[in-house]
Amino acid sequence: MKIRSVLAIMAALVLCVFSAGTALAQNGVTDTEIHIGQWGPQTGPAAPWGAVARGTGVLFDMVNAQGGIHGRKIVYHMFDDGYNPAKTMAGVKELQESSTGIFAWASGVGTAPGLAVKEYLASRQVPWVGPASGSPHWSEPPQRNLFGVYPLYFLEAKTLTRYAVERMGKKRVAIMYQNDDYGKNGVDGAREELASHGLELVEAVPVELTDTDLRSHLLRLRRANADCVLLWLSPTHAVMSVGTAKAMNFTPQFMSTSTCSDFPLMIHISKGLWEGVITASFGELPTSGSPLMLEYRKAFDQFAAREERWGVFFTAGMGFVEPMVQALRNAGRDLTRERFIEEMEKIQNFQGILGNISFKPFDANDPSSRQGQYEVFLIECLANGDARRLTGWIDAR
Amino acid sequence: MIDFIQMLLSGVAVGSSYALMGLAMVLIYKTSEVVNFAQGEMALVSVFMTYLVLAFHGWPFHLAFPAALIFSFFLGCFLEWAVLRRAKTPNILSMIIITIGIEMILLGLVSWKFGADPKTLPFPIGPYDAFLVGDLFISHLEIMTLVLALVIMVSLFLFLRYTRFGMAMKATQQNPVAARLMGIRVNRILMVTWGISAGVGGIAGLLIAPTVMSPFMMWDPMLKGFAGAVLGGMTSLPGAVAGAYIVGVVENLFGGYVSTEFKSVVAFVIIVVVLCVKPSGLLARHYVKKV
Repeated sequence: MKIRSVLAIMAALVLCVFSAGTALAQNGVTDTEIHIGQWGPQTGPAAPWGAVARGTGVLFDMVNAQGGIHGRKIVYHMFDDGYNPAKTMAGVKELQESSTGIFAWASGVGTAPGLAVKEYLASRQVPWVGPASGSPHWSEPPQRNLFGVYPLYFLEAKTLTRYAVERMGKKRVAIMYQNDDYGKNGVDGAREELASHGLELVEAVPVELTDTDLRSHLLRLRRANADCVLLWLSPTHAVMSVGTAKAMNFTPQFMSTSTCSDFPLMIHISKGLWEGVITASFGELPTSGSPLMLEYRKAFDQFAAREERWGVFFTAGMGFVEPMVQALRNAGRDLTRERFIEEMEKIQNFQGILGNISFKPFDANDPSSRQGQYEVFLIECLANGDARRLTGWIDAR
Repeated sequence: MIDFIQMLLSGVAVGSSYALMGLAMVLIYKTSEVVNFAQGEMALVSVFMTYLVLAFHGWPFHLAFPAALIFSFFLGCFLEWAVLRRAKTPNILSMIIITIGIEMILLGLVSWKFGADPKTLPFPIGPYDAFLVGDLFISHLEIMTLVLALVIMVSLFLFLRYTRFGMAMKATQQNPVAARLMGIRVNRILMVTWGISAGVGGIAGLLIAPTVMSPFMMWDPMLKGFAGAVLGGMTSLPGAVAGAYIVGVVENLFGGYVSTEFKSVVAFVIIVVVLCVKPSGLLARHYVKKV
């Protein structure tokens, strides 16, 4: 009898705790505030990409300074996950289940950290816009609450390969790729594009994240007599590859992804060797003089920390959330998550500092209902770290 | 054939930085039988301090590099004096664990202070300028590393064999109590050994940093150097150097002919095989402790 009553009390307590939890869980909107969260590595080896999350913050500061959105200010919660998926999950959960909750998640750097929280956010139908990675996982299969903006790495590889074959007359294309999801997307894209020209990769060399010596990798490429090499690597490895190639007098055309398109940084760490490398870019360059970019630059001067650098990762962080801000504006004063998702779906031919962005009403069989941007353009690095634009916007599908 | 010779050459080139790390670890092991896992991160701190004075305070090279070595030396001495010597009831295992702790603290410090963007250390010679003979290449920096590794090995070897300090180190390793009874200041010997070892590691770091510079840059060279040292017998300086070159060459041949994917693992396979087959290593004379 005694045991049974103890059990009953425990059950009641558990029930209380759970129901209290749901009663308290808010949707992140109050009369005066919209709570938006983001993770991004501010420490550790992936820290250079952490500028994305800070860029988002400055865009929100600018929106708030202009009066906010229908009388509400954006309250931005950014945390450092150090590119560690376990920390991403812990941080997202903590913020999401806090007293005010998070209305929607903005961007968030990295494939692995994003994958760690994808299911969690889906199960709660919390909107998430613009993961900062070109992985196909965001829209294949599409998920109702998740809107991808970053064009797929796969398409970047296709675009670069097409340019190499059609415009530069390259016949012997090879790739060095980071041995993970990111790198393999590059291999797939290059392979598919080459096949459509009746060609094959002459060599595909995997690089481990911990490798510190790439001589034997480059030797393989030289042996394969490659005349164009795609580098689907981290910035450090990409620079090391170009340098090692130079040391062995191996001079193919190097091409790389948008993750290595921060030319001032690349020129600096490569001590000038990045000159002539062609990369994809999914957004206007920070140095472009477009009115919108100039406006953002002003916001940067006003709100960013003093040691912040006006680079491509920083502006990308602003670009990824432009559609989000637009949808929040269109949703009007009666802001709910449902309403917000409807407005996101209505975004058509949106033009901010990234490429053309369009979504569609949810269709479980159509990835393009949740992948907004497919366009990239190509740029070449000049000696002083500036970029020369080689093409207009290309949709390589 | 050209490829084969190039792989040998590349193996020797990369082996030189492993050799320096191996030498540094052997020095400490020789006196105290402690495997110092903080070796890489001690060098890391020196490298980032050098970067700081070069890039932000505008020191010239001829001032910054000697300063870096002096700093390394004192850092090594300090860590021995401030951390290892404080250990209560020190046995070898707990000492090794302490070095792992130091490793993590130093790594955390550097990531926190310097984090963010990747960098490369300014250096008087370009890291990718190379001598080319036909299709064969070796960079200037690699030749410099090779020469330094051999010079340091020889001078340490002579220093340990023919100086009183070297004898004292040997005595300390073989029997600390007896050494102390003979009037050797064991603590000081240990401290200075840590200092010298940190200096050698610091040189390795400075030679690696022009190509890669990030908080994780020393981890790989340290483990490969350790593998080389184990292969050579852990107590023999020429053994450590030879071992490191073997690791570098085998690794490059494996990467060139078998798989780049598993190239980094080769060093650890070597450790395991050596420990199974010939635990005393290739060149070490096995010293049996008399009880």
